[in-house]
Formats: sequence, structure tokens, C-alpha cells
Amino acid sequence: MRFIHLADVHLGAVPDRGCPWSGKREEEIWETFRRVIAGIRENPVDLLFIAGDLFHRQPLLRELKEVNYLFSTIPDTRVYLMAGNHDYMKQDSFYHKFEWAPNVVFFREESLSCVKDEKLEVYVYGLSYHHQEITRPLYDGAAPGEGEGLHILLAHGGDVKHSPIDIHGLAAAGFDYLALGHIHKPQVLLQDLAAYPGALEPIDRNDLGPHGYIEGWLEKGRIKTKFVPFACRSYEQILLILREDSTQYSVQEMLKMDIARKGVRNIYRVILQGFRSPELLLIPEKLKELGYVTEVLDESRPSYDLEELGKRYSGTLIGDYIAYFQAKDRSVVEEKALYYGLQALLETSR
Amino acid sequence: MIIKRVTIKNFGKIHDKTLDLSPGINVLYGENESGKTTVHTFVKSMFYGIQRQRGKAARNDVYTTYEPWENPAVYGGTLWFLCGGKRFRLTRNFHKTSMSSELLCENDGELLDVEKGDLDTVLGGVSEAVYDNTVSVAQLKSVTGQDLVRELQNYMASYQGTGDSSVDLGRAMQMLKMSRKGFQVQAERRRKETEKEQEKLSANMDYLRQEMEELTERRFEVEDKEKSLHMIPGEDDGVSMLDERIHSIHSRRLLVGAGMVLLAVLAAAGIYLLGNVLPNPVVLRVIAGIAAVLLLFGLGRYEMSLTRELVKRTKMKARWLQKQEKLKWNRENLDEAMEEKKTALSNLQTEYREYEDESYLPTAEDTEIQALNMAMDTIEALSGNIHHQVGGKLRQRTSQILSEITGGKYQEVLMDQELRMTVNTQERVVPLERLSRGTMEQIYFALRMAAGELLCGEERFPVILDDVFGMYDEERLAAVLRWLHKERRQIIISTCHKREMEILEKEGIPFQKLML
Repeated sequence: MRFIHLADVHLGAVPDRGCPWSGKREEEIWETFRRVIAGIRENPVDLLFIAGDLFHRQPLLRELKEVNYLFSTIPDTRVYLMAGNHDYMKQDSFYHKFEWAPNVVFFREESLSCVKDEKLEVYVYGLSYHHQEITRPLYDGAAPGEGEGLHILLAHGGDVKHSPIDIHGLAAAGFDYLALGHIHKPQVLLQDLAAYPGALEPIDRNDLGPHGYIEGWLEKGRIKTKFVPFACRSYEQILLILREDSTQYSVQEMLKMDIARKGVRNIYRVILQGFRSPELLLIPEKLKELGYVTEVLDESRPSYDLEELGKRYSGTLIGDYIAYFQAKDRSVVEEKALYYGLQALLETSR
Repeated sequence: MIIKRVTIKNFGKIHDKTLDLSPGINVLYGENESGKTTVHTFVKSMFYGIQRQRGKAARNDVYTTYEPWENPAVYGGTLWFLCGGKRFRLTRNFHKTSMSSELLCENDGELLDVEKGDLDTVLGGVSEAVYDNTVSVAQLKSVTGQDLVRELQNYMASYQGTGDSSVDLGRAMQMLKMSRKGFQVQAERRRKETEKEQEKLSANMDYLRQEMEELTERRFEVEDKEKSLHMIPGEDDGVSMLDERIHSIHSRRLLVGAGMVLLAVLAAAGIYLLGNVLPNPVVLRVIAGIAAVLLLFGLGRYEMSLTRELVKRTKMKARWLQKQEKLKWNRENLDEAMEEKKTALSNLQTEYREYEDESYLPTAEDTEIQALNMAMDTIEALSGNIHHQVGGKLRQRTSQILSEITGGKYQEVLMDQELRMTVNTQERVVPLERLSRGTMEQIYFALRMAAGELLCGEERFPVILDDVFGMYDEERLAAVLRWLHKERRQIIISTCHKREMEILEKEGIPFQKLML
């Protein structure tokens, strides 16, 4: 027995709206989902779990038809599907009346039900979101029913507004695997027992790192799982540490090399840190041209020795200025203000 | 504070030189390039150390400039001074690898720790910047009248607002504003991009709405057609009317058929009976037979026409039903398309709302702008404080000193909102531009002296006047020297002229001559 567990595909999402690659990303989210199905066609698995948020918003009928068609091309795989908080079953949702292919099990109700796969002796439990936000813990008290075989729970949520999930409670109740969804960052909560596969493709710039799905199989009667990176791109952060001898050009070269090393396909957030020469006026916009760069955050500081300057200028405006900010537990804005003002005062000095 | 003795072991071009200073006026005399500035730098470096510049700037920083050529490992000397009623001896070596400092209080023999800030305590918190602004007075740099006016006004404004004549508040604020402008332009561009995206979204929504309107229109058309076919449930529709018609034709046809059979039977029976009853049966039989045949023929034709009509009506009904079916299919298709568009529209509306919410989140530029505003506000507020504490007093004291050294010719120094300075004589107000270079130098002197008193705090520091009297005529110089003597503080006049000493002698003012 082999299965694939994925979640949070978010078909229809438009990542990085306003960036030149936004439209392409929208298409890639669909494409990667099609690739998963094509992969199953090549190398069939017995079960496919989709733990919610297959769609980013309310699915259109034609989108359901498209997805259903894809499922119909893997007739030997039983597909277990639920609606999550993004594609929740609104009153007029097309989910309500949709007729799925025979190999698809769609959990319609907002309370748990169980479907048994006779051939494989697998019991799958699931439900669908009928509301965008559910603060009630939907899965509390869930427990596998009678019957020899594997008991697998499909569950979406896990935060305050989306059905908090008591993982240890569910594990203790005796489920063999908790196929979770909702959290976009892939994470194993209990080894081979409970995991979020994360979003199949990263959906926005905060979905950092590799993305893909979880593959599971039976080994000596026990479920084993592994994460399979599958997304065609990832969002990454590049940290550039400036030094006093850094220049616009040297920073650009550093970034170019980092992007080349980490992959030109990936989408980057660039963070500048360290201490730069006070004279260096960086133009962050130029860094954005060197690849898929969503934003450049400049957290670098002019290389001023505050203690020393504070002492040297004590009793004058510059000294007062440094002392004013040093007395504070500085916020990001205050930290920036300190250096902006200090630099202006020092650099315009006669 | 009084500097008692300076021993320069090895500093710049000076080696093993000891200068004993008097607590009053000292004249440090030397030709150009003889090392007067070296002495001043040495004294300051003894008090504040030498901050090394990093990178390129190190090539001509103070450390490099005064690093001795010979025996560089010994780089420094000793300074004896009186401060807070106590005698101190300060010895330093500035060399980067053998850096050392030793501060000894000669009264009680206590060794103090320079690294830990004991020297700062002794100096009473007079920082390096304050020292630069009070102890050491250099010449005005400007040559031409306009520049001089500007320089003097800057000095006054900077002192009043920052306590530091080297700070240029106007330019600093300008620099911050320029940075802010840059971020504002970026933020504006981003805002425009967001607007463009929002417009795209609303254009898509408009397009969907238009499509939905068209669908509604078509839905109405279909409904109208259905109405015209009497397809509204409950009403007599076309089909039931046709059904009725077909039914009546059908029954009539049955009737006619039955009539025909009856007629044939009757005719046959009649003809047979006629033969038995009447005498001449043949003629009558023939007539009756013909009549019956004619009648049958008539009925037959009627029946055929009924059959034709029946076929026609049945076809009509089928066509009608087909039409109805098609309309129904159309209607259902339109309804489905409508549902699809509705969902798509509500998805777009959600997207628009989310995008709008997102655009209200603070951007990176907002943070920078906020920080720049905070920097400007803080500088303004702190400068306001200093102005409040120093500004008025500084002006008053400057005016007083100016009046004293000009024999009451100039009474008051004024500065307006635009930082324009004027001087009040007994009769009128004169703008700075109208004054001679000599008078401006006097105002500068008065200002520096006043600043020295106000910024230094309680301990009076010596004043080092580095070649500041070059532009003074004899009368002015004599007045200033008399004033300095009257003030009873330690003065070091550094000069390459003998003029100062001559006048001091002429005026009978005691002084210590220091030769280089």
C-alpha cells in the first residue's frame, strides 16, 4: 500500500500580485498539481489524500470539472478530498451538488464520517469546512472505529480560528496516520504519524523553503512517510552582510553569486545586514533587477561606534541625540531614526 | 583648569620639548611651520586620545599625520595640569602596539584609570566636541565678505541650536528631507502600481458583471419564448391544446370508421332485403348499391383527410416538444453559466478586498519615512531644548563681551528667525554685511568666548587662540588683550607675529613667552 498526502494546493491563487512573474506563478500552481496526477498515472499509488484548500477560493464549476477529469485519469487511485477554510462549502458552493468520478471520496458533511476501502482495509475519516472560520475544535474526541486495518484521519486546521487540533490526543486515540492540512510550512509533528505536507507550491513570499507533498507506504504493517520536494520554485531569503568596504557593485556581485548558487528560478527576499561605511548610499532598487526579487529589506547600519561618538559629542546636539535614543529600548523605527539623524548630523558637519 | 606644563616626548616633528605655562596669558611664538598647531593637537590628544579612522580615511588621519618618523614606538608625552583644585600628571603613548596611559593625582599619589573613564570625570564631562567648540579657537576660514557673513551666522545659529559650531542643522535637515523624498517617490510608485492592479481587478469584475447582464438578457429572451409557447406551468400550453386536437381527430376518425362499417353492413343488408320485398329488385338494387358506394367513398375521403390532419398534428406536437426541450436546455445552461459567473465575481470581490487590506499594511518605505520623520522631529526638539538653555544666554553674553572689547560701540548682537545677524550700535541696527572684517572678527571672538563660558560648565578651561588676531588693528588688539587680562583665565595665544607680545608689553600686561 502506498499513498500520497498533499494539502493547500490553492488552485486559482495569484501569488505576488503586481510582480512581473505573478501570472506565471498562477499557472504553475495548476501545472504542479497536474504533474502530481501525471506522476501517479506513471507510478500509481493506492490512495491520494488532499487535506483541504485544494482551491484558493470558491471553486468554479469548470475548475471542479477539470480537477475531476484529472482524478478520472487515475482510476486505480482512490482520492479522498475535503473542503478547507479557503474553499469552504458556502451555501451556493458547487461542491454541494458536484458528481465526482467513482474513485473520488468527497467528505461533504461538517462532522466526521468514515469511509472504508474494502479492498485495502483502510478506514478514512474526514469532514469538510462549511464555514470560513471555525473556532470549535472539530476533531476533538475523534477516535477510530472498530475494524481491522489502517485508520487514517484527514484533518484541516490547527490554529485558533481554524479548528484547533489536539495532535497528541488524536494520536493516543489510535489513528494510524493524521493527514493534516492548512499550515503552509511542511512539518512533521509526530514521526510517521502526523504531518503537514505544507502547500504543494508556495503561495506567497512568506512560504519560505522547499515545498511538495508527503509520500507514505506500509512497512512491516506500519506506516512510513517521507517528504518529497515537488514545487517548481521556492521562496528563499538571502542575507547579505555588509562590511565597511562594501560598495553598491560589490553588494550586487554578492547577490548575483548567491542567486546563482541558490537557483535562478527561485524567488528571493533580500535582507541587508551588518555595518556599512556611512558614505555608502545603497540603491536597493538595483538589487531587484538581478533576479526574482520581491523585496529588499535594509537592516544594515552605518558603522558608527555609538559609545565612542556619544562620549565625544557629549554636551552638544549630537551627544544629546545619541543619548536620547540610547536611553530607549529601540524599536525598528527608532533604530533607523537614530542612524538616519546621526548620519545626517555627522556628514553635514563643517 | 590650568595647564601647568607640557612635555612632548615624541609627537609629529617635535621631540623632547617642555613648555611651562603660566596661569594667565601665554604667547606661543613660532615661525610658520614651526609646530604651533602640533602643540595644540598634542594637548587635545593628551586629553582625548587619538581616534583612529578606519579604511581609506586612516591614510591622513591625526594618528598618521603626527606619527613620529624617528623612534615611532615612543609616540606621546606628559601633561601636568590643575583641575578641580587638584594637580594631575597625565602620560600617554599613542603608538598602536604600545598604547598606554597613566593618570596620577599628585596630591594624594592616587593612580587613576584612563580606560575606565577617570579622566572624563576629571574633565568634568567636557567632551571632545565641547573642547573643540570652546577651548580651541581657530581663525575664521572665509576670505570674502559674503562667505564671512555666512560663516559667522552659521556659527551663531549652530551654537544656539546645537552647542556645536561644526554642526550644520540646515544642511542636516535638508539631507534628511532629501532621503525622505526618495522614499516618498518610491512609495508613490508602489501606490500607483497597487492602484493599477486594483483597476485590473475591477475591470475584470466589470467584465463579469457585463457578461452576467447579457446572460440575464438572454434568460429573459428564453422566458419570453417559453411564454409564447405557453410553457408557463398551470396555463393551457400548446402541447395540451395539440393533444386535445389530436384526441378529437382521433375520436372522429374512429367514429367515421365505425360509420363506414355500419354503412357497408346496412347497405349489404338493405340490398339483400330489397330483393326479397320488392318485385323489381335489380334496378333498385343497382341504385341502392351505387348510393351506398358513393356514401362510402365520401366517408372514406373524410377519413383520409382526418388521418392526414392527425399526422400533421402529431408532427407539430413533436416539433413543439423539441422546441420546448431546447428552450429548457438553454435556460438551464444560462442558469449554470450565471452561477459560475456569480462565484467568479464573488471570488474576485474577495480578492479585491484582500488586496486592498494588504495595501494598507505598512510598507518598507513607510518604515523608512517614519524613521526619517522621527529623526527630524527629534533633532528639532533637542535643538529647541539647547536653544532654550543656551540661545538667549549666549546672545546676551556675546553682546556683553562685544560691547566690552569695542568700548561700547556695539551694544547688542541680534539674530532673527531666518538666522540673519544684525548688530545694534547706540544709534541704529546694522546688518552684518555692512560691517568691516575687523568688526566681524571681534563678533566672532566674542561669540567664541561666550560659548566657551556657557558650554564648559563650572570648570573654566584654558582658551587656545590659534592665530586669530591677524585681521585686528592695533587698537582692537589692545582692547581684546586688555579684556583677556581682565578675565583672569589661562590663555594661550599662538602666533607667528611679534605684535601681540609688543602690545602686551606696552599695555603692561604680564605674560609667559613660549618659544618653539
